[in-house]
Amino acid sequence: MREWAAKHRWESILIVVLAATIVVNVSLSPFYLGFGNFVNLFWLSIEKIIVVIVMTFVIINGEIDLSVASVMGFSAAVMATLYEGGEMAFVLAIVIGIVAGALAGLLQGLVITRFGLPSLVVTLAGLIGFRGAARVLLEDRSVGDFPEWFERIGQQTLFGPFPVALVLFFVGLALAWIILERSAFGRKVYVIGNSADVARFSGIEVDSVKMRLFVASGTVAGLAGVLFAARVGAVQGTLGETYELDIITMVLLGGVSIFGGSGSMLGVVLALFTVLNIRNGLGLANIDGITQTGVIGLLLIGSVLVPNLARRYRLRRPAPEAMAHGPP
Amino acid sequence: MKANKRRSRVLGPLVVVALILAACGGDSGDTTTTAGEATTTAAEATTTVAAETTTSAAAETTTSAAAGGEAVEITAGDSITATFLPKCTNIAVFPQANSGAEEAAAELGSDPAEFVGPADCGDATGQIEFMTNAVTQGVQAIMLSNNSGDQLDAPAQAAADAGIPVVTWDSPIPSATGESVFVAQVDFDETGQVMAEMARTILGDDGGEFAILSAGPDSANQNAWIAAMEEVLATPEFENLVLVETVYGNDVAEDSVTAALGLADSHPDLELIMAPTTVGIVAAAQAMTQEGLCETIKVSGLGLPEEMAPYVESGCAPEFALWSFVDLGYLAYYVAYGIATEQIVAEEGTTFIAGRMGEYEITADPTRDAGLRVLMGPFSKYNAENPGT
Amino acid sequence: MTESAVAEAAPKSTRFLRPERVKEATLLAIIAVSVLVFAFLIEGYLSGRFFNRVTTSVVVVTLLAAAQALVIFSRNIDLSVGSIVGVAAYLTGDFLAATGQGPITAVLVAIVVGAVLGSVNGLLVAYGGVPAIIVTLGTLALFRTLLSIYSEGANVLAGDLPSWVLEFNNVTLFTIAGFQVRLVFLIAVFVVVGLQFALARLRWGRRIYAIGSNPSAAAQAGLPTASLVFWSFVGSGALAGLAGFMFLARAGTISATAGAGLELESVAAAVVGGVSILGGSGTMVGAFLGAVFIDTLKLSLVRVPEVSEFWRDAFLGILILAAVILDTVLRNRFNRRWSAEARKAMESTGPSAVGMARMAGGGGGTADA
Repeated sequence: MREWAAKHRWESILIVVLAATIVVNVSLSPFYLGFGNFVNLFWLSIEKIIVVIVMTFVIINGEIDLSVASVMGFSAAVMATLYEGGEMAFVLAIVIGIVAGALAGLLQGLVITRFGLPSLVVTLAGLIGFRGAARVLLEDRSVGDFPEWFERIGQQTLFGPFPVALVLFFVGLALAWIILERSAFGRKVYVIGNSADVARFSGIEVDSVKMRLFVASGTVAGLAGVLFAARVGAVQGTLGETYELDIITMVLLGGVSIFGGSGSMLGVVLALFTVLNIRNGLGLANIDGITQTGVIGLLLIGSVLVPNLARRYRLRRPAPEAMAHGPP
Repeated sequence: MKANKRRSRVLGPLVVVALILAACGGDSGDTTTTAGEATTTAAEATTTVAAETTTSAAAETTTSAAAGGEAVEITAGDSITATFLPKCTNIAVFPQANSGAEEAAAELGSDPAEFVGPADCGDATGQIEFMTNAVTQGVQAIMLSNNSGDQLDAPAQAAADAGIPVVTWDSPIPSATGESVFVAQVDFDETGQVMAEMARTILGDDGGEFAILSAGPDSANQNAWIAAMEEVLATPEFENLVLVETVYGNDVAEDSVTAALGLADSHPDLELIMAPTTVGIVAAAQAMTQEGLCETIKVSGLGLPEEMAPYVESGCAPEFALWSFVDLGYLAYYVAYGIATEQIVAEEGTTFIAGRMGEYEITADPTRDAGLRVLMGPFSKYNAENPGT
Repeated sequence: MTESAVAEAAPKSTRFLRPERVKEATLLAIIAVSVLVFAFLIEGYLSGRFFNRVTTSVVVVTLLAAAQALVIFSRNIDLSVGSIVGVAAYLTGDFLAATGQGPITAVLVAIVVGAVLGSVNGLLVAYGGVPAIIVTLGTLALFRTLLSIYSEGANVLAGDLPSWVLEFNNVTLFTIAGFQVRLVFLIAVFVVVGLQFALARLRWGRRIYAIGSNPSAAAQAGLPTASLVFWSFVGSGALAGLAGFMFLARAGTISATAGAGLELESVAAAVVGGVSILGGSGTMVGAFLGAVFIDTLKLSLVRVPEVSEFWRDAFLGILILAAVILDTVLRNRFNRRWSAEARKAMESTGPSAVGMARMAGGGGGTADA
């Protein structure tokens, strides 16, 4: 146990934070402990946490995708526009919507790999551009009245109390876990994240891995957009706006290095549980939205700062090497 | 509050009559409910008429209520738990509305409702979250200003299924799913009428060019008001008023200033900017002020008196209008409390007395295909004589 | 490696055709072309009036692009500038409403508020060892939350401010043929030129570039990297504070959401202006031109009736992408030519700044302390 904790320091800290959150929540609100609330807690953020899974890969690979929330909106807008036209079978509209997300990812991946541009800039352009595209498609309309079965996917339960999207999340999570930590592809993702040059020298097809990740990111964002539409029953051009911050926060809080190369699925899952529980607890304690966001922001900074300081004092060294003062 | 004085002068005698009638009906919750139900059929006939002729619906509601007679006075009873959920917590009008709700809660001997909401007025999922949490908490009433379209349908239905009345105010649920009743600030068609009239007052009888600076292209309330205004403009009375363009400032100060100046540059003959948003109107007034354009281009629309004061004084914004958000919150709380304590029933024809604001009637909502409405009204117009501050 | 060797990585002023100049000239040409295109599309577009519009409205974004560039040069990023603008604008407005002080005091208050918030970022990045993107993503939310709690939903009202505030943007120093040179624009230009000069000529400025080019080499060379990074964040915060004052003067009424979203605009302006997100390269003048370009587009697109409201974001995204692709293509051209020269010139000084920057490119171009 102690050995595991030493090896997984970050995950151990998260477990303590999560446990503390749960204890505080239970003591603050009598409504917290209930199966319905437990399902709600996931269900209310289901689109975000689905994208968190794939964002974990992207960041470990040393890249970032700021465009996910806009791609969510874009995919849902494509689907809604096709549905609105009325000519097409709705299932086909859904498929084309998700494919549009994949193409958005493909386009960004191409620009990133072909021109060697930083993903931060390319996906920033994507963040603005795909949101724009979603708004071009839907303008000021809110498209709803989807077939009943579609809304049931988002709103009703599949197995026992679990909505379809939640089941999808857990299946996806299990798959991602295996791919990231048990497959050759996962190892490549880590190696590239550590050093793209080293990866290249050791014969890893860096660009191809990057491409696949961005396409996956776009596809999953597209899927999340469609699920979003199913959950709320209507699509507007602003769907999912500013979700990227929450998504990236959860991944980084999970101990994934923003520089790539390190992080674990377990950490991300723990971070995700922690954030969802904190938001839920604050919500039940009637804390308004802006304060909730502030608390998460504080947590994000603290999650990197506290271990840094702890390490510094434990080692009785003036500063970690990375930001050491120069010699006198 | 100024608006209210005028109103209470009209309502005063009616309220006295209604109070007596309500007192006759008995003061326990159960009996008053029956009294409310009894009025239903009597009021229904007049309601439809009132709904058809929209311009001064507020006045007609009072008439029909007087005809129906037996209004239920909502009185203090048990304390209830409630959630007061605005579009977002950061725009000045919503804390104002909440202060009205707090005032009502104090009068009714109830704990104030929890004032929670998303940080961003466009965040529909934030509202879904707060709605769902409120249901989990088992509150006895939810007062909601819907910040999106149909996205709130499912959680509102969940609340209704859990027996929680959902009283919307400021902005309703379009399909009325799960909604008990909508407390409307003013009649949406009347908003169009009032804006057109203000434009005519400012531009004079010979008319001129004007433009609209709205919130966002997705803002449901603003779009409804603009559509209503365009309808009024199509009538011969207003044929001299030429609407040249509608632009959007996204309820962001910087964007609104940019959009307002863009209008000034694109249309050399522009004489008026009409902004049906409290953020937009003040930004437009400020933009005209700092570019020295106030002489040629005036600003009007829907604005908060305290924000508009310097521009009324300078003549940049000669006239604008708004309803009282404090009163809106107050009335919404009364309605929610009345329903939650079973003093009134959310159905067509129910008439009731809401504290200092007097008597109202629940009618079918003529602006939507479904749903019930309580119409607050009236507009207050603000100008140099009545700056409102 | 000695300090002077590290300083090699900074832009040298001896070479005539430096990439910075080429980028700036390209952007200037693009701005000119787009103005011509708009002049063709919009009736009565080319006028002193439009010049006055752009020069007034660009002030806030210019100051923020400068704030952003200052930290990006040292391979950091500041996503909290929008929130700093909000806090500075609100507190300065509150202060003015209470005291009725004059412009100089107001500007000082705004700058101090901004600098204090910037120092929070700086402390966490430089001495706490937390990557800038994480710190400022956190303070983006945190500063806004604190402002929201402080404001209790109430706005700073234009009517409570001293009357000079509402007229401040209109103060014109002199007019040439309808082209007004306004005080606010002059302040912004002065700030940009001053920073450009300081960064190019002062040791402090060259060190900032050196850190951005290669943080670990800079540290090994004995540069006080932590304090340099700290002060660049303080400077960035101060600039954002000044932008907050300008925002107050422009908007008059300030809500707790004032300035939200400006962080993305500032990054976009800096990047379009040729500031490399990988640090170590770019100029203040470039960032300024980037701000002018984006602002000109925004103000002009508003006036093209054929371009619907809904197209503007899509358009802006495409433009940013085009700008960075063009920038990369240009840079690669120059790099190829110069790496040959450089190889001859400095065989033994280790990997070139260009090489390091390319390697860091695999790291997502994100920040480092």
